[in-house]
Amino acid sequence: MRNLINLFSKIALNSPRVVSYNNSLRSISTTTVRNDLMEFFDDPKNWGAEEVKSGRSWKKDELRIKSNTDLHKLWYVLLKERNMLLTMEQESKDQARLFPSPERLDKVEDSMENLEAVVRERNTAYHKLETGETGERPGRMEVGPLGIRYYYKMSEYPIPKHMNKKWQEKYKFYKYDKDVEAFLLKYREKLYLSKRKAQRRNFNHVIGLMNRFPNMDMEAVKEQYPDVDIEKAKSSRKYKGHFLPK
Amino acid sequence: MRITNFLFSRVGKWSKQYSNLPERYIKRAMEQVYWRNPKGIQYKPNAIVQRKKYNFTVNRPWTGQFRQENAPGSLAAKVFVEPIKEWSHFRGDRVQILTGKDKGKQGVIKEIIQERNWVIVEGLNCELKKMGQRDDFEGVWVRAEKPLLVTSEISLVDPSDLTPTPIEWRFTEEGEKVRVSTRTGRIIPIPPSVEETIDYKTKGTYKEQPKDTAADDLSEITFEPALRTFEMDIMEKMGIKEDRVPPKSYWY
Repeated sequence: MRNLINLFSKIALNSPRVVSYNNSLRSISTTTVRNDLMEFFDDPKNWGAEEVKSGRSWKKDELRIKSNTDLHKLWYVLLKERNMLLTMEQESKDQARLFPSPERLDKVEDSMENLEAVVRERNTAYHKLETGETGERPGRMEVGPLGIRYYYKMSEYPIPKHMNKKWQEKYKFYKYDKDVEAFLLKYREKLYLSKRKAQRRNFNHVIGLMNRFPNMDMEAVKEQYPDVDIEKAKSSRKYKGHFLPK
Repeated sequence: MRITNFLFSRVGKWSKQYSNLPERYIKRAMEQVYWRNPKGIQYKPNAIVQRKKYNFTVNRPWTGQFRQENAPGSLAAKVFVEPIKEWSHFRGDRVQILTGKDKGKQGVIKEIIQERNWVIVEGLNCELKKMGQRDDFEGVWVRAEKPLLVTSEISLVDPSDLTPTPIEWRFTEEGEKVRVSTRTGRIIPIPPSVEETIDYKTKGTYKEQPKDTAADDLSEITFEPALRTFEMDIMEKMGIKEDRVPPKSYWY
């Protein structure tokens, strides 16, 4: 566990320059070395390198013990790192060179996702305590014009719904329509058939497995293919081992 | 379960472990997306057309060889893989080979290919391959290990008498899950090389990279609970005062 730690927050958490963070010091840059467009590029000694080693991404549990200020700083450290990596990736593409260790991008993005989730958790806890609601963007399940349900994310508007012509034109929800009903009937049939097909495919696959591996662990099969009736598969005519029955 | 999750879950945990790559990267490196529905109102929002069946071989899913083997338009013959309840063969395990020309020999597991129930035993079950043959060059003979099935072609070795044995997972009195030789009842310890990856031997000996956070900084607790949202806290720390009252708005 020790030492195994990613990423970049050394700059954010340790740098003495950023410790005092009040209004009068805001004009002072938190960046230590370079302060120009070359910040969008990696360290020149990593250019054309075969591999650039890095630790793993930040986990949620590690972010939960950090203060809001630390998270705020870490976010910008990660953002700058992501910008740098995306620039390097594009530049490598343009120059037809190898972009070393592309998994760094995923590590940074994973960290950013986790950080955002932790911030959300904190805000949701506050809002739930104070108002009883999550404070997240509201939404609801809606039925679209083609009769298919989807999650509709609400937005904030300066005018009410009945005055908003543009919104009314853009968002059409489902009202009874004969043709749509006919479409839905066929659509659901298709979904049903694909589900049945998958079941049948699994069933035949299990028979194939039983024919090939007579000493197979049947509990493992049940775990992996829960929708297959093993007894029924055994009585199928496709199931016949090339061995004498016991 | 969404189809992408399902596909991804087929790359076994122990196949990925040694590479020390984030799951997200492995998914990104192996997927072949032919079409993604644009955002907006769609008959099928988020619809993706992508490759569903992959041919897993000794080439790892994030490598170029894997991409070449699974080139768009190519489809390999179906492979039946025996379901296994719990994976019990780890890197560094001593195993005995039960088939082939190295039958009866013992070796150490070097690589795991969980998608096919395969392991590669170091230096055993090899084949000679001629590589790099051209018109003006004879090529060189290279010895490469062939994979072995864990279900029938190898067996774990009991450490007490160094003979192959079937195993079972049991719990010790401390509640620890261990592999036990069903023949002698002896525990077969999981080798320390299980946690080894391409970047480090053990987690304790990991060499920190320049951009890594130091372990002490990571474990330092700076969070102090307060009745504030993240934004309120940051604004207070940065001395931002917001007195403006937002105009009336409508959510719909």
